[in-house]
Amino acid sequence: MGELVGWVFDGLLALSLVLLAARVVASARLFESIVLFIVFGLLMAIAWARLAAPHLALAEAAIGAGITGALLLSTFREIVTDQPPSAEAPKVLVYRLRVLMALLAGGVFAVLGWALLSIEVPAGPAAGEQARALVARTGVDDAVTAVLLDFRAYDTLLEMGVLLLAVLGARAAVAAQPPASGDDLWIGGEGDTPMVGALVGLLSPLIIIVAGYLLWVGAYGPGGAFQAGAVLAALGVLLRLTGRLVPLPRAGAFQRGVLVMGLAVFSLAGLLTMATGRAFLQYPEGLAYPMILVIEVALTLSIALPLVLLFSGSAGIAAGRSQHSP
Amino acid sequence: MSALEVFAALLLLLGGFFFLSGTVGLLRFPDTLSRLHAVTKADNLGLGLILLGVAVHGANLVLAAKLLLIWMLALLAASFSAHLVARSHLRDEASRDG
Repeated sequence: MGELVGWVFDGLLALSLVLLAARVVASARLFESIVLFIVFGLLMAIAWARLAAPHLALAEAAIGAGITGALLLSTFREIVTDQPPSAEAPKVLVYRLRVLMALLAGGVFAVLGWALLSIEVPAGPAAGEQARALVARTGVDDAVTAVLLDFRAYDTLLEMGVLLLAVLGARAAVAAQPPASGDDLWIGGEGDTPMVGALVGLLSPLIIIVAGYLLWVGAYGPGGAFQAGAVLAALGVLLRLTGRLVPLPRAGAFQRGVLVMGLAVFSLAGLLTMATGRAFLQYPEGLAYPMILVIEVALTLSIALPLVLLFSGSAGIAAGRSQHSP
Repeated sequence: MSALEVFAALLLLLGGFFFLSGTVGLLRFPDTLSRLHAVTKADNLGLGLILLGVAVHGANLVLAAKLLLIWMLALLAASFSAHLVARSHLRDEASRDG
C-alpha cells in the first residue's frame, strides 16, 4: 500500500514537472512563465527530496526557486516599466532563429544523451565504495561536502569564478544606465507600513541563524556554503525590497573584497598546498577540516553578496534609512 | 492502526480538505480581495492541521517544536504577503477611480 502511494506520488510529481516545464517555455505571457518557473523549482526540490538528495533539495529551493525567482521578477519589472510588451507578431527572422536554436539545443541534447548512454557502468560498486572510504580522511562526515570541497574542489573553485564573472558581466551590461534611485524595488512605496518593520525585525535574526546553521551543519549533514549563501542572499533581497538596503553606484573596497574573497581564499589554499609539495588543493592530513571550514565561510559570503548585487541591479549596497510612517 | 495514528490521519485529511477549499475559492471567487480571503484563511488552517497531524504521528517533542516554528513562519509570511497584495490592490483601485 505504502509503496503504491509512493509510486502514484512520484508519477504525479514527474508528470507535473514535465507539464510545468513545457508551460514555462511555451507560455505566451512572460509573467506566467516566471511564476510557473518558481513553482517548477519548488516541485523540483520535492523531487530531489524524494530521490534522497536533501543537499540538492535545499539548493534547488533556495537558489532555483527562491533567488532565481526573485531575480526573474525584478528583471520582469525592469522590462515592463522600460518598454510595454508589443502586440505585433515576431518577425520571420526571429522564428528562423528560434528553429536554429531549437535544432542546436536538440543536437547538444542528443550528443550528451549518447555520451551518457555510452558510459560503461562499472561492474561493482568499487569506485563509490573507494570514494566513501576516503570521506573520513577529509575531516568532514558529509559525503557531498567532501566531494564539493575536497575531491572535486577544483570544480567548486571554478564555480566561484563563474559567479564573479556573472556579477562583472551584469555590471558591464548595465553600466551605461543611470544609478538606481533606491525606490525602484521598494515594496513599501511612498510610505512604510508597520508590518514591514515587524517582518524585518522577526525574520532577519532567524535568517542569520539558519544561514549559520546550514554552513556549520554542512560538515556532517545536508547543508554547506551554497545553501547558506543563498539563505543569506534572501535576507539581502528582503532588506533591499523593504528599503533597509539601498543601491550604490560604486562598491566600496570592503564589498569588492567580499566579492573576490571566496575565489581568493580558495586559490590561496590551493597555492599553500602546492607550496608544501602537494597537488593543488590536496589538503594535508589532519588539516583538511579547518581548511575546508575557512574556505566554506569565505565562500558563503562570496556567494551571498553577488546574488544580492545581481538582484539589486547595482554595483554596491549600503544601509538605508528605514522610514516609518506614523 | 493505533488510535493515535487514526487521529493523525484524520488531522491530515482535514488539513487537505481546507487546502482544497482554499484552492477552489482562489479559482472560483470573483475578485482579488475575496480570493485573498479564501487562500489566507483556508491554507493557513490547512497547513496547521497537516503539521499537527505530522506532529501527532511523529509523537516527538523536538519534531513538534520544529513543525510549530514552520507554521509560525508560514503564518508570518502569509499575513505579510496578503497585506501587501491587498494594499497594492486598493492602491490600484484608488488610482483607477481618481
